[in-house]
Parts: sequence; structure tokens; C-alpha cells
Amino acid sequence: MPINDDKPSIVISVRNFNAYYSDKKALKEINLDFYKNKITAIIGPSGCGKSTLLRSINRMNDEIAGFRTEGEILYNGKNVNDKKLDLTLYRKNVGMVFQKPTPFPMSIYDNVSFGPRIHGIKNKSKIEDIVESSLKKAALWEEVKDELHKSALSLSGGQQQRLCIARALAVDPEVILLDEPTSALDPIATQKIEILLEELSQNYSIIIVTHNLSQAVRISDYMAYMFQGDLIEYDSTSKIIRSPKNELTEQYLTGRIG
Amino acid sequence: MKRDIAISIIFRVISYAAFLVVIAIFLTFILEGFMYFSPEFFTQFPQMGMTKGGIFPAIVGSVSVLMISLAVAIPLGVFTGVFLSEYAGKGFFSKIVDTSITALSGVPSIVYGLFGLSIFCITLGFRTSILSGSLTLAIMTLPVISSSVREALQAVPRELRESAYALGAKKSEVVFKVVLVAAKERIITAVLIGGGRVIGETAPILLTGAIFYSTMMPKGILDPVMTLPSHIYYITMAYGQSAQWMAKGASAFLMIFILIIYSTAFYIRRKISNAHK
Ligand SMILES: Nc1ncnc2c1ncn2[C@@H]1O[C@H](COP(=O)(O)OP(=O)(O)OP(=O)(O)O)[C@@H](O)[C@H]1O
Ligand SMILES: [Mg+2]
Repeated sequence: MPINDDKPSIVISVRNFNAYYSDKKALKEINLDFYKNKITAIIGPSGCGKSTLLRSINRMNDEIAGFRTEGEILYNGKNVNDKKLDLTLYRKNVGMVFQKPTPFPMSIYDNVSFGPRIHGIKNKSKIEDIVESSLKKAALWEEVKDELHKSALSLSGGQQQRLCIARALAVDPEVILLDEPTSALDPIATQKIEILLEELSQNYSIIIVTHNLSQAVRISDYMAYMFQGDLIEYDSTSKIIRSPKNELTEQYLTGRIG
Repeated sequence: MKRDIAISIIFRVISYAAFLVVIAIFLTFILEGFMYFSPEFFTQFPQMGMTKGGIFPAIVGSVSVLMISLAVAIPLGVFTGVFLSEYAGKGFFSKIVDTSITALSGVPSIVYGLFGLSIFCITLGFRTSILSGSLTLAIMTLPVISSSVREALQAVPRELRESAYALGAKKSEVVFKVVLVAAKERIITAVLIGGGRVIGETAPILLTGAIFYSTMMPKGILDPVMTLPSHIYYITMAYGQSAQWMAKGASAFLMIFILIIYSTAFYIRRKISNAHK
């Protein structure tokens, strides 16, 4: 779907994309472009395929038996389903944060340094720098700087989620995918994450699935509304709220689909 | 409502009863043998037809057999468990391995003893020795450890694995740096329970590693040893009234030893279930 504003550059484009779980079609002919250093929210009722689309981007569904796709997802012009793609390197560029906070059962420091270490950084002071800067970017540094070697499981839910964001930032991604990152959190922790995401969007391209419409309105620059596997409407968030073109979108925005 | 309450009371009574029986068994043995504990009891050889001295060689024997069998069973069991959980998939082969492991954990220990006797003592020529006994017990605990390790790994939430993959981790890194680490308490618990079984097991060690009585310490792992369970068995079967105190003392010691191992296992388990709340 074309967007007529002054166009920012495209980081990921989805082209004629279909996805199936065995014979169930979960995504139908999706076409859309995600823009660089913008926040795009994917919204829509439960089961409409938001997670499937998000997880198709970083190929998180590869392991699911019976999952297959048609069409293309391009990252900076390269097909991410290409057999020759270095998946490890690709996932370093496209990070992901999940619904429930998923800290590894190890120290805060080891959580954040996990990514840099598996990508071959050995220099200890370099890793220390990365840990510090990632925690700072995730607005968690002040809270944990004196207890970096404490277990990550001892943090609160909101802190754990910011730790997961820091962990994703530590491998220096370009895109960050988030699947309902605040749905397990209280309003205050949620607000902290929203502020954080807006800050991060200056340097990162953010794609967020959310069930929380007002959250999508608050933080996103672009909004994609999905319904039963179809992309119904995609435009800048301000345009969509002002004048949704599609009746289904309007029904969702006014709370009649939910 | 009333029925629910009645049923919950009945279940409570039954589980407390079961708990009491276990406590009673432990207490009986410990109380009956506790009085024979003394520094000599733990540091001396049995003397004068088991009427004097202590159980030092049996303790050393049991501990060395435990150590060696765990040194063999832990790496093999963890490796097998990791393989079954993470690499074998769900195909025919993994079903076969899975079924055989379940079957193996149901095999009576005397059968393991006979197997060890024929393979280690005779075919491989290790004779009746610490090595034969330890290997036999290691094989006996292998299915216990590997199936618990497999379960421990399967209990690691999918999101945790996905988080590691999403950072660009390779499968081996996900398995060994995240999944195994996340499951480590459960694995330690499994190993402790396996260890508790090894130290108390009698039949296999009687057939493959134990001697009736020795006046010397073993010089190496190809020598036979006295062990706590076999020592208790021999005294009870072959000695008169005047030697029975030693069996009681040894039983009490063995019970305490097992109690400590199991309590540690349960403590770790409780820590895990609390951490998940
Ligand atoms: N692993 C799976 N196996 C089979 N079907 C699946 C699987 N995951 C999702 N689906 C189906 O695909 C469709 C889209 O699911 P998806 O998880 O993408 O929806 P969603 O928009 O993220 O929903 P929610 O808001 O509830 O998270 C649903 O009908 C769902 O039942
Ligand atoms: Mg979802």
C-alpha cells in the first residue's frame, strides 16, 4: 500500500507474502514496507496474524513443523528466506523482544553480554562498554549499575523487559521486533517502555505488535491494521485515526471489533 | 462443596500417613543404630568377628564406588538426555531410544548385577572390583539420569530458547549456553536422586564389586572393596547376634547419608518451584 507522505527509506518490505500453518492460511497476500527509524504498530484482533507476520520477519517460525511461506520479505533489498542468507548475522541485525520477559537464568551482566559473546567479541573491556551502553539505552543502567552480577531473575517484570531490550540492543541491531512487549506489565512499567521505544526510534527501526490501541496511537508513526490474515489498512498513524479508509479499521478503532 | 472438602481431607490424611511411614522407617533405623556411633566406628576396620571396631573400609568403598559411578553416569546421562531432548527429534529412532530407556529403568537391579558380572568382571576381565561395581551402578543409573535430564530440558520454556535464537545464537549455543543452564537445578536434583540410589543399591555391588571382608584398603580400582550395603547384608546373613550392632550402626549411617542427599535434592527442587512463582 503506497504512502504519499515524504517517504522515509524502507528497511523491510513484505511482498505478496502468504504464510501457512499446515493447511491453515494465516497471512494472505501481505504487501507493506516498514520504514527506517520509525515505529510501526501492527494491530488487529486476536488471531489475525500479527505475531505470524512479525515472526516471519526474523524467521522465528522456521522451527514450527508445517509452517511455510510464499512471497518475499526483503531486508535492505535482500530476501530473508534465501537459503544462502546467514541467519545468525541476519538475526543480529533484526532483534526481537517477546511478550513475557525472558531473561536468561544468569546475571544481568551475562544476559546483556550473551549476544556480543556469541558473535565473537572476546575483549573484556569492549564487552563491558557494550553492557553499559546497552543498559543505558534501555534506561536500566541507573537501576542496576551496582548489581550487575545479581541474577536477572531478581529484577521486577518491567526491569526484566527492559533488560531484554538491552540484551537485544547489545548486538547492535538495525530493526527491533516487539510482540506485545508490555501486555504482561503494569501501567507504570508500560509507560517506561513506551517512552524508551520513542527514544530508541531515533536510531532503530521498531516494529511492535500490540493489543493496546491507545499505546499504538501514542507511540507509533505508522500503523498496520490486520484482520483474519489480511492487511486491511496501512498508513501513518495520524491519518488512520483521523480518517480510516476501511470500515473494518473504523470498527476496530471505535471498539466494535476487539 | 462439602464433598470437595471431604475429599481434600481424605487426600491430606493419606499423604500425611505416607509421609509418617517414611519418617518412621528412617527414624527406626537411625535410632536403632545411632547409639553405636563413635569416632572408632567411623575410622576403624571391623575386628574380632565384627564384634569390635568400625565400618571405615565400607564407608571408603561406598564413597569411591559412588564417585566413580557418578563420574561415568553424569556425563553419559547428561549427554544422552541432551541428545534425546534437543537433537533426536520425534521420529522412529527417538521413540525406540525413549522406550528402551523407560524399560531399562524398570529392570530389577539384580539383572544389572548379572549383566555387570558377565560384561565387566568376566568378559572385560575387570574381575570383582571397584571398577566393575562402579560401572555396573553407572549403567543402572544412566536411564534415571538421562530421562530426568531430558524432562528438565523439555521443561525449559520455548520463549527462552527463542530469545537466544533471536539474538543470532546457533543451536549448539542455545542448548549448551541457555537451555542447560536454565535446567541446571533440575539436573542436579536428578543426579542427587540417582546418587542416592547408587549408594544404597546392594544386589549389583554384591555381584560385581564387593568383598565380604578385607583387612586392607584397596590399592586401586581393580581391587574389590567392602561397601555399606553389602557389609550390612553379610553381617545380617552370616553373623551371630554379637555382630548385629555393626549392621545397625551401618544402616543408621547409610540412612543419614541418603537422607542428606535427598534433602538437598528436595531443597533445590523447592527453590526452583519458588523461583517460578
Ligand atoms: N504454531 C501454530 N500452529 C498452528 N496454527 C497457529 C500457530 N500459531 C498461530 N496459529 C494460527 O494462526 C493464526 C494467526 O495467529 P497469530 O499468532 O499470528 O495471531 P495474533 O494476531 O498474533 O493473535 P494474538 O493477538 O492472539 O497474539 C491464528 O488463527 C492461529 O490460531
Ligand atoms: Mg500474537
